Amino acid sequence: MRRESVAWERAAEVREAAEGWLRAGAIGTATYDAVLNAYPDPCVTPSAVWRVLTAGMVTAVMVCTLGALWAATQPGAASLALLLFVLAAAAFMVTEYLEASPRSARRGAAGATAFWGNIFVLGGLGIFLSEAQHVDGESALDAVLLASALVWAASCWRWGSPLFAGLSAVSSFLFLSRLPLGRALWLLAGAALVGLVVRRPDDLAWAPSHRRAAMVLLVVGVAAVYGASNVYSLDQHVVEGFLKFAPPRGARPSWLMVVAAIATAVLPLAILWWGLKSRRIVLLDTGIVLLALSLVTLRHYVHVAPLWVVLTASGALLIVVALAVERALRASHGGERWGFTADPLFSDERRQQILQTVPVVAAFTPPAAPVAATDAPGFTGRGGAFGGGGASDKF
Amino acid sequence: MEGRGRRDLNPDVVAAITRLRADNVLAGPQATLLNRVARRHLVSVRLEIRILLYAGVLLLTSGVGVLVVEHQQEIGPLAIAGALGLAAAACLVWVARQAPPFSWRAVESPNVAFDYILLLGLLLFASDLGYVEAQFTVLGPRWAHHLLIVGVVYLLAAYRWDSRAVLGLALTTLAAWRGVSVSLMSLRRGAADLGDLRTNAIVIGVLYVVLATLSVRLERKAHFEEVFGNTGLLLLLGALVSGVLGAFTWGAWLAALLAVAALVMWLSFGLGRSLYFAEGVVAAYLGLLRFLFQGPASSSSFLVAALLGIGALALIVAAHRRMVER
Repeated sequence: MRRESVAWERAAEVREAAEGWLRAGAIGTATYDAVLNAYPDPCVTPSAVWRVLTAGMVTAVMVCTLGALWAATQPGAASLALLLFVLAAAAFMVTEYLEASPRSARRGAAGATAFWGNIFVLGGLGIFLSEAQHVDGESALDAVLLASALVWAASCWRWGSPLFAGLSAVSSFLFLSRLPLGRALWLLAGAALVGLVVRRPDDLAWAPSHRRAAMVLLVVGVAAVYGASNVYSLDQHVVEGFLKFAPPRGARPSWLMVVAAIATAVLPLAILWWGLKSRRIVLLDTGIVLLALSLVTLRHYVHVAPLWVVLTASGALLIVVALAVERALRASHGGERWGFTADPLFSDERRQQILQTVPVVAAFTPPAAPVAATDAPGFTGRGGAFGGGGASDKF
Repeated sequence: MEGRGRRDLNPDVVAAITRLRADNVLAGPQATLLNRVARRHLVSVRLEIRILLYAGVLLLTSGVGVLVVEHQQEIGPLAIAGALGLAAAACLVWVARQAPPFSWRAVESPNVAFDYILLLGLLLFASDLGYVEAQFTVLGPRWAHHLLIVGVVYLLAAYRWDSRAVLGLALTTLAAWRGVSVSLMSLRRGAADLGDLRTNAIVIGVLYVVLATLSVRLERKAHFEEVFGNTGLLLLLGALVSGVLGAFTWGAWLAALLAVAALVMWLSFGLGRSLYFAEGVVAAYLGLLRFLFQGPASSSSFLVAALLGIGALALIVAAHRRMVER
């Protein structure tokens, strides 16, 4: 990353934190102004709405430009690949230009141009190999995955987007899964990735966006280890499904299934424990998600109860656990226990409450009634559906 | 827990606190608290508790749905309806007992579970009503009106217990009563049906936008304005875009869409509402794409679309520079 960009990011981190302090009443306006003066940030930083809108429009411009050139030249495979490479180079130059200016660096346009630049490179490479060079599909896919890992990693290093880090890691693991002993490589590479990046999110020497990228890599590394050791993934040959020449799906040795079953049970608990011990929210959240996946895996192999019992009981259990945790934290001295609190601290509660409207409406809105409902010959159940994932729209 | 979304140790902030304390910008106790949070010695799990509660409600209502579908013969309709009603009542009674007094202003929830138990109670109520209608056909051929009842109950609950999420659910349920949902863009329906749907969506959308304006003007739950406004604009602009993309007389729809989108952008610019402005820009752009690509795609249509996008970007940058966001 450019040195100026890192300095702007560091100042923005402090200013954003000060915003939270002010919102929570931890500091007054005078102190807030003093913090802003001490950490000047020349960048224009629009809200998320503006950034998403800008990125969307940049996407439209880039795709339409490609469409215009393609329609005008009607290129063959080699020419199309060349066209994509040229557009990618142009996109990277525009990204550099936008990133260099504090007026444009954080508007969302630079991220979109970098993203599409990478997509064009990978698309061009794929077309060049498979269509122009007639490389067989499997080898072309290997090359594109490897290139994808490198290109996204380089983009993350240069422009600091955590999304690019995640895409690079996912591409790497997909590439590894296509090698012999892919599952073992997932385990080894996942563990190595966790070991490499575990301290980086707290490392002052790293730029803030690189620290966030390290956090993404940490989660991907943990997910890879879990994915490789999950008993369902082993049983169903999920990782091996990406192999060039997938071996016949024979039964796994029983000892391996036992080890995987133990790992499926133990890993989420270990991650949860790690998250609690280190008070790293990202690990805590990852542990919760993995625990949920392990419980789904358990339900797949052991039918402890009918589906409705499992759903209702787990829903009730989640509510009870959440309430118990909240009550325990509130009842503790100073409203905190083991370094955890149920208070919002400096986060934006109002924003969270507005955002939660979206999933509630998306999950629980009933299906629409037919327009001419009054003419229908009786109830068909469409309008009276139960809300919730997996629910049916008929009684 | 720094800022809006960063909830992990932040070494830049730790270093800044040390410097600000040394420069006497921060007082000792202030710096101590901020330092504890920045160093991850004190971490909030409030969001995690909220997510667990939301997931719990989702699973519980799904479980109840599956139970009713799979076992209604064995359990019997009266027992199911009674049990659902009792469970809903239990939740809503708890909510009523916990709730602070009514106010036309924003009211803080008494605890983190309040919103979710309210949601659970209302969903169980809606399920019960739907089930009763399915089994006993109380409304007969007018069965769809049960969505009106559910929507109105949601609306009353949203106002009484000051819940934006329940208000959002009320607005989409009332739209569903009039046949409008994400299925607006569905091609499965006939042209006549789609025409009716669009009309319904436009009427409801305009009504919601009016209610958004009134809630602010009359200072009656003014913080509900965003929910009313965004739902209304999505329905209104969505219906117009659907008309441009799907209707036979798409030219008239396009003219209407451009006029409404321009009005939305102009008004939202004055009001400082970036999301409304964005919805106007996207809707207008989608409509113009239909105009550009009415025939076979050519290089000139792509080129004009790209130039239009650049124009939209210039508009976005200029609007952001001048708009005072609220």
